Amino acid sequence: MFIDSTPLSRSLLSLLILLSILPGTALALDIQSVIREVEQQYMGSSSRARTTMQVKTSHWERTLEMEAWSLERDYFLVRILEPAKERGVATLKRNREVWNYLPKVDRIIKVPPSMMGGSWMGSHITNDDLVKANHIDEDFHLRLLEETESNYVIECLPKEDAAVVWGKIIYRVRKTPQVPEQIDYFDEEMVRVREIHFADIQQIGKRIVPLRLTVLPLEKPDEMTVLHYRELVYDLDLDESYFSLRNLESP
Amino acid sequence: MLLSLAFRNLWRNRRRTLLTLSAMVVSAALLILALGVFSGMFKDMLASATEQYYGHLVFAQPEYHLRRDLFANLPVDIANHPALMNESEIVSRSPRLRSFGLLSKELSSQPVEILGVIPELEQQVTSLQNKITAGRYPTLDDPNGAMIGRGLANKMKLRPGDELVFVTQAADGSIGNDLLIVRGVFATGDSRNDNNLVLAPLPWLQQVMVLPDRIHEVAMILTNPMLAAEIADRLSPHLPENTEVLDWGDLLPEMREVIAAYGVSRMIIVTILYLATGLGILNTFFMSVMERTREFGILMAQGMRPMAIRGLVLLETLLLGGIALAIGLFCGSLMTLYMHQVGIDLTAYITPITYAGGTILPRLHAVFEADNFLVPAGMLLLISLIAGFLPANRAARLDPVVAVREE
Repeated sequence: MFIDSTPLSRSLLSLLILLSILPGTALALDIQSVIREVEQQYMGSSSRARTTMQVKTSHWERTLEMEAWSLERDYFLVRILEPAKERGVATLKRNREVWNYLPKVDRIIKVPPSMMGGSWMGSHITNDDLVKANHIDEDFHLRLLEETESNYVIECLPKEDAAVVWGKIIYRVRKTPQVPEQIDYFDEEMVRVREIHFADIQQIGKRIVPLRLTVLPLEKPDEMTVLHYRELVYDLDLDESYFSLRNLESP
Repeated sequence: MLLSLAFRNLWRNRRRTLLTLSAMVVSAALLILALGVFSGMFKDMLASATEQYYGHLVFAQPEYHLRRDLFANLPVDIANHPALMNESEIVSRSPRLRSFGLLSKELSSQPVEILGVIPELEQQVTSLQNKITAGRYPTLDDPNGAMIGRGLANKMKLRPGDELVFVTQAADGSIGNDLLIVRGVFATGDSRNDNNLVLAPLPWLQQVMVLPDRIHEVAMILTNPMLAAEIADRLSPHLPENTEVLDWGDLLPEMREVIAAYGVSRMIIVTILYLATGLGILNTFFMSVMERTREFGILMAQGMRPMAIRGLVLLETLLLGGIALAIGLFCGSLMTLYMHQVGIDLTAYITPITYAGGTILPRLHAVFEADNFLVPAGMLLLISLIAGFLPANRAARLDPVVAVREE
């Protein structure tokens, strides 16, 4: 009533509202790009990487040498180099589809939706991770949970209509250089089920990225997957045609 | 003396007695037939679950049946463990390795469960060889020849001779994959088996899963499935550490409950049907006692004790029950025999129904089971006695002075 009576206070109020929204909008945009940066740190606009993946489970341990190519967020091709038994096994991601090539039977198999939650190459990374990680900023509501001098803590809650497997994701990102330190994944019951830790921060071209990431499935404390980027080259001359089913079969 | 008197009394009103008798005969005979058909249905259900997939007993690592953990495996020669070999109730044993994975052909793929089996032994445990609709059963000399369910064959448009790729998680962490050739198609009527199950030679699956000389379970068939729980308990102490023997009741708890509930529902059905029959008997004997009031009065006046009067009437009802029972059992057995040998095929009207882990086949088919005869027989005599009790009491309590004057 008091506000209604004076035009001045009304404009003051709208100014206040405007002021309170403005930083929020600016911040929201900011968070989104932070998350997108994290999820695409190994890809850039295009990239080639040589990685060593060590997988340790309670029953076996193995090390894979792999070579991977990517283009934007939509195309991704990875091929096993070592061990010899699995040489040539390859995975292709095109948009939201995943294909595997199996040299032993010389067949390409599309990973069906029912298997997207399954392990990729026996690791603690799922096929879903390959497809959906790059869309976190689209599929989730992002919120700055905490900001310290050195870190952002960003909470991601799934959008109502998003087909995602996580109940919540929390990113801990260092401010300068802007690199991820840790990502925590929660299931639908909000129980923390997986952590990814980043380490070995290096400058690669103009970018600064952590070259080692460790995936810890929390319900299996003695298991982990360590992915180590040995070589990483950005901004290659690649186009969509490189990520074809034919190229999946024959390097 | 009392017996021949009772027998003669029965036929004094021949039409009434015959009507009551026929009601008793028909109810007893139909009851025996119905119970035989119910038992047949349950037997089909149990057989569908055990003879198409589980077997009567399953020997594996503890909790394997719950988790289906790839790593919960056993050496293949455990199938010949002395405790299993020496148990005379065990008819056959089949060592099996199980894998869940993806079967694909060109662009279509389906999640499946593959059982790696030694065909010769598996055929003595499950009876899928009798359900083949195309092609043949796998054999050991055809290393990657498999048999698949009809539902799966239809979904993926597969025929014998077609080549498939099987992909699964191998025990060393690699992607286990190999070609598989369809050799046969089976149809059990149980949609889970028909849509998911694949049978392949054991050595092939061991190689794909990188589990040489390992199995997940030994499935067994017994002489009598109803003894499964007892035999499982008997075997347990003689088997190695970290293993367990489960009977079909453990694997299919719903089935065990359904079968246990059958015992109760049988009593309920018998009781309901006989209540109606019992009222008929009651009516007959009340009428008969009322008509004979004067006669009872004279008998008592001549010195017959009330106990003897009561005995006489009870004997009459029991005699009627006995005659009804003899004819009823005979007719019931004949009808059950017909339904056992011939049965009624309902394929044209209904499709198989999967319930409590088993499949109810679209047929009416009876089996002989002692309780299906004993329960109706015992109950019929009991009901006759109960129905005869009130009229007998009434007759025994008559005052001879009043009774002889009755017209």
